[in-house]
Amino acid sequence: MTARSAPSKYHSTQYYRGMAFLKNALTALFMGMVIIFTLFPFYWMLKSSFQTPLEIIALPPIWLPLQPTLEGYIRAVTLYPIPRYLLNSLLVSTITALLATSIASTAAYVIARFKFPGATFFLGVLIFTQLIPGITRFFPIYFLIKDVGLINTYPGLIIAYLGFSVPFAALMLQGYFRSSCPPELEEAALIDGCTDFTAFTKIMLPVSIPGITAVAIFTFLGAWNDFLWASQLLNQGQLKTLQVGLRDFLGEAGSLQRINSFMAACVIATIPSLLLYTILQRSMVSGLSAGSIKG
Amino acid sequence: MARKRNLFCYLMLAPAMLLVLALGLYPMLASIRMSFIQYDLMLIPTQGTPFVGLANYQTLLNRPEFLQALINTLSFVVVVVGGVVLLGLLIAQVLIREFRGRGAVRTLVLISWFIPPMVAAGIWNWIFQPERSPINLILKFLGLITRDIRFLTDSSWVLGPLSIPFLAISLVRIWNGLPFTITFIMAGLQSIPNEIYEAAEMDGANGLQRFFYVTFPMIQPVLAILVTLLAIGGIGHFEVNYILTGGGPKGLTNILAVMAYNEAYNQYRFDLAAAMANIILIMTSIIGAFYVRNQVKERSL
Repeated sequence: MTARSAPSKYHSTQYYRGMAFLKNALTALFMGMVIIFTLFPFYWMLKSSFQTPLEIIALPPIWLPLQPTLEGYIRAVTLYPIPRYLLNSLLVSTITALLATSIASTAAYVIARFKFPGATFFLGVLIFTQLIPGITRFFPIYFLIKDVGLINTYPGLIIAYLGFSVPFAALMLQGYFRSSCPPELEEAALIDGCTDFTAFTKIMLPVSIPGITAVAIFTFLGAWNDFLWASQLLNQGQLKTLQVGLRDFLGEAGSLQRINSFMAACVIATIPSLLLYTILQRSMVSGLSAGSIKG
Repeated sequence: MARKRNLFCYLMLAPAMLLVLALGLYPMLASIRMSFIQYDLMLIPTQGTPFVGLANYQTLLNRPEFLQALINTLSFVVVVVGGVVLLGLLIAQVLIREFRGRGAVRTLVLISWFIPPMVAAGIWNWIFQPERSPINLILKFLGLITRDIRFLTDSSWVLGPLSIPFLAISLVRIWNGLPFTITFIMAGLQSIPNEIYEAAEMDGANGLQRFFYVTFPMIQPVLAILVTLLAIGGIGHFEVNYILTGGGPKGLTNILAVMAYNEAYNQYRFDLAAAMANIILIMTSIIGAFYVRNQVKERSL
């Protein structure tokens, strides 16, 4: 964070040093405030999750757990089926990620590599469906899943998730395929007797594993974080996903004394997101192809 | 050969294509259709689903709550998108530079990216609990307020679409949306060749001038895409508003997606819900049309 000093006859070096110091100090102050803003909720969640109900209800609020306790966590996993919800979410999100990435990869490959009639149209459809918010197709899909008898089943929710995961994964993957492997490699393989399909499975897929993994993680997180779809498609008893379970927890146990166990449940729900974030983080800034990821 | 190649392409496309048609395009069309018929779950057993033309839209237009939700939706987009883009530009400017501990700072700033909206809403709901809010405590300590702010329930101060609950929810959405924006802008900044900055510096441009005459024009296309994506996401946003306030108090934080959802699952008026979903579809399609064209062109090269 050094100010680059442009040569100028009007100012002395001392003036520049002073300005540079001031600028750095202001930048540091600004970034400090930004970090407090982003981290504070995590801190408040963590400290609340380790407090006793007595400390939680104290006025004014207590900023650190005076008697750190796991009571909140124990209650979250014993009184509420948080572990079960967690497993439900893991199952649904993992299957969604695997299915969506597989289905998307073949489509992404031909879009990235070949020109054929309708390719542009299909690409447009993918971009359009990925772009438009889920609520615009929510109600018909709800009735569709209901009519085929898959409401409150894992497959029903997974199918709904595939609706937005597949276009997302296909768009990310086709961008990745374009750069991960030079077309000459596949052309050489074709001359050596590979078919188009084995060129895909034996050449493209193996060299693209890092990208495919990243896309699968993004897809997983999309399903893991979803509240909207799960709130209507899988909201009965033990089958709920974690997000829906948390919402009910907040609704029925939102009373002050239970906030510590609710915060503990939130911590549990945050762990997978943070773990995967650290894995993705390295590839993020460089690998983010504009437009294929939505916030 | 070409024909065989085409067949191969279609076979590879088929599973994804079928899925996208069945779960992407078809439901959008079905939703449009649903908005032109009477689809009231209470009345279907006796009256069926007769065609009613634009009646559902008329019903909505006659409801002040709908107009309020429409205005709120657009206002949220302006406040939240404006907030994340302005903050994002400033923060990305800093994070793009080389300095000691940059990796750690980046990690900390971007950490809220993948936090589930439900969890974000849950934590902030607790932070906003008036008597025990750390924000109120600090503001009182600084002597800025004497009475606790009731972040999510105070409807006493209203300025157009702005109110305390509106601003509180905007803050949560900015918190949750900032990392994506920063990353997106940083990717754009990295594509600016360093030589341009060096040239500008040689010509004696100061920091502000460099920003306005080099950085800004260079990342304008990236910003246009970013704002498009954020605006579309914002128009269809659901989670944070639904979980924190459900649209209240007095509809101050109600937005189209939340109102549609409540209309469907509390009132069983799926026709009105579909009409609102349709209005979201129209608005986002208009904004998205240029984006889709632009992306198709770029990627089919």
